[in-house]
Amino acid sequence: MKIGLEIHVQLPTRSKMFCSCPTTDAEAPNTHVCPTCLGMPGSRPALNRKVLEYGIMLAKMLNCKVAETTWFSRKTYFYPDMSKSVQITQYDNPVGSEGFYSVKGKKIRITRIQLEEDPGKTKRVGDLSSLVDYNRSGIPLAEIVTEPDMSTPAEAREFLGLLIADIRHTLDLPGDGERSIRCDCNISVGKERCEVKNVTGLKNVERALSFEVVRQTKVLKAGGKVERETRRFDEERGVTISVRKKEFESDYGFIDEPDLGIFRIGKMAESIKIRESPQNMALRLAAQYGLEEKTAKQIVSTSVGLAELFEDVAKAAGVGTAASWIGAAASYWKTFEDSPEGRSGIVAILRDLSEGRINDVEAGMRLRSFMTGATEESVKAASADLDVLIAGYIDANPAILDEIRRNEKASNRIIGHVMKESGGAYSSADVVSAVKRIVDGRL
Amino acid sequence: MTSDLQKINDRYSMFSALAPHIPDDAEFLFSAKDNLTSAGIETRCGSKILEGYRPAFDAAAIEKMKKSGGGLVGKTNMDEFGFGTFSVNSAYGIPKNPFDRERSCGGSSGGSACAAAVLEDHVSLGVSTGGSVCCPAAFCGVYGLTPTYGRVSRYGLIDYGNSLDKIGLLSADAGRLKKHLPTISGRDPRDPTSCVQPEPALSGKRIGSVAVPKEALDGASADVRRAFNESLERIRGMGADVETVDMPALRYAMPAYYIIATCEASTNLARYVGMRYGRQDGDLALKFDDYFTSFRTKYFGDEAKRRILLGTYTRMAGFRDRYYAKALSVRRHVIGSYREILKNYDAVATPTMPFVSPKFADIALMGPVESYAADRLTIPPNLAGTPHLSVPCGYDGDGMPIGLQLVADHWNEDVLISFASDWEGMFDSRRAEADI
Repeated sequence: MKIGLEIHVQLPTRSKMFCSCPTTDAEAPNTHVCPTCLGMPGSRPALNRKVLEYGIMLAKMLNCKVAETTWFSRKTYFYPDMSKSVQITQYDNPVGSEGFYSVKGKKIRITRIQLEEDPGKTKRVGDLSSLVDYNRSGIPLAEIVTEPDMSTPAEAREFLGLLIADIRHTLDLPGDGERSIRCDCNISVGKERCEVKNVTGLKNVERALSFEVVRQTKVLKAGGKVERETRRFDEERGVTISVRKKEFESDYGFIDEPDLGIFRIGKMAESIKIRESPQNMALRLAAQYGLEEKTAKQIVSTSVGLAELFEDVAKAAGVGTAASWIGAAASYWKTFEDSPEGRSGIVAILRDLSEGRINDVEAGMRLRSFMTGATEESVKAASADLDVLIAGYIDANPAILDEIRRNEKASNRIIGHVMKESGGAYSSADVVSAVKRIVDGRL
Repeated sequence: MTSDLQKINDRYSMFSALAPHIPDDAEFLFSAKDNLTSAGIETRCGSKILEGYRPAFDAAAIEKMKKSGGGLVGKTNMDEFGFGTFSVNSAYGIPKNPFDRERSCGGSSGGSACAAAVLEDHVSLGVSTGGSVCCPAAFCGVYGLTPTYGRVSRYGLIDYGNSLDKIGLLSADAGRLKKHLPTISGRDPRDPTSCVQPEPALSGKRIGSVAVPKEALDGASADVRRAFNESLERIRGMGADVETVDMPALRYAMPAYYIIATCEASTNLARYVGMRYGRQDGDLALKFDDYFTSFRTKYFGDEAKRRILLGTYTRMAGFRDRYYAKALSVRRHVIGSYREILKNYDAVATPTMPFVSPKFADIALMGPVESYAADRLTIPPNLAGTPHLSVPCGYDGDGMPIGLQLVADHWNEDVLISFASDWEGMFDSRRAEADI
């Protein structure tokens, strides 16, 4: 089974791709429009350069070759929401090509990234009429095209989920769900492929693909042939529906867009630096600090800020300290995300620990007090009780230490006992880190 | 004033719309081809499909003419979307040649040339894609200048072939070209292709040498040959060297031009599907593609349909490389060929048109290929984007004007403007009798 995706991402420019109309949500239909995005005769496009910058950022994120020179093309097709009946897109020399993106160590190849304008929206009203809203007309999009390198709907979903998170991070996209990202899904179970157009949302991508797997398999098992065609996904019924057969596919008749000229973007590309994507950061943390990939991903997915704290602590107090204490810091992290002072406070405590000025117990208490704002005394009292409970259990069941040596998970029994005994007085994160600390001390 | 214009227009059909109001304080009067948008004045490009289109904005060139004191008197008649050599492909009447109303004004800026020839102290904005300024200038016996591609902002120009379209000037007085070229030139962020130009500078640089391609007189009529050879003598008399050169690229320009122009035109015309502007009728209850098809079938003229078909065919998958991509490389070759010759010469001279303006009766008998071939000398500089000028240079036995075309290097309008002024001083051009 082969699956390839074409992902459309709306780029977060303030004005449209070829005119100065705003890209924000409009109060009413056809209010964020002008002669250019309405395609009025005599109007013409002028490129918003920010679009090229975003294109280059995505190309870099996806390890693509960034074109030295790039230009736009005209794709001609007739539809009421396409104001010029011509979409300005890229055909030859798109901004990026030949990249890849790793999912669980597997490389999914990226064929190309092209920049293009979004059409307007057609809205059905009653049975016989439709209305067209051109507010969306001319919003910049990047289309990311993959090779058919995914082999299951679940893998496609995972790929897309990670990719979207990375794109959000790289372009600083607002986190308003997945709606501003649309996907065309190409899937072949046998030889011929079908394309399911315009699916939104991770879950729907997996559902649409899974439906196609079953449908195409059935056709093949019954001795039939899967026909090359374009389908659409009905979200409510969870089925795909044929829209048009291959012989009715449009011939878009691409030609160069003469109004915009050629863009030499080599220099621009050199000067654009992108933020490391969460995915790449996790992979790097694992490699650089010898963490398990799973642990590194956990840290990064909690928050990129926490992962940065990990790096700060590793630098100041060693990787070992960072690895043992990052979990404790994670429990109270939320309010620290945007606080550089907070971050350096944590680093200072753990530096004291690693340099022997305080011991584990003191470090734990100071950290908790620092991060929760509770006084050290109250923390001390609570934690002393907690330590007593844990130590008591281990003293009563000394064999547990041998079990833990064989299988780490045996420490869950201590955690379970303490949680039960204390009646939920301590947070599970506190219990976990205290158990780890005391067990590590005795092993 | 307006009623006078109306009378003149009844006789010559040069205007497709007259301005409802001409400012009293206008320092000069001008007209503009009807493919330049004019705020509030119907702009139809000679096409039924745009009937009723009142643009919300003035084209940059019109805006600049108005700012410099110009009063717009009307929009001039033209071949539908610029598709033609004789201005007979218009839905709004056919402009008639001021020297003989049985004959064509040339095209596609036929109305502009007619207005320039008939009206006193007038200048008209024309648009050239493959020769639509110089051809009618030659046929109507006036001066016509097509500047370098990108010299004049195309904002507000209703596109034929965007990589070829150039806004130019037509007038019976060479001095008006000199006066108004700087007016309409200059960078405009609304048309990025205008933003690479060097500052226009008219320093009065004179032509010192002229190259005449061997191929220049292929297929030219006897009258045109005679007038052209006399013109070369005059140019020698002005102190310039005239030499013959080989320019085989001229032969390949025409097929390349028609491929690029029709490819671009077919995409530009895709937007005319009713619904939004221009004519609004048609049965909106039909499926959208049936509605589009019926609308386009009804309101595009034959020549527009022919060019849409040609252009759509040549950019189809499988043909694109054979036609479109090849035409682009021929264009580069033609540009290279001009560049090579213009390294050693200030201008390339040919007749503008191979014959004088034909009678409408004869035009009706011409097939499309024959009529396309009439543009073989105006197409090369248009394909190359080089500035070119047509000046009246003689008359045939019936008194019909003949044009001389000079092509200069990119951005070098300077030598053409100087030449036009000098030529005007020594060539006795005739005004048509406009007996109103």
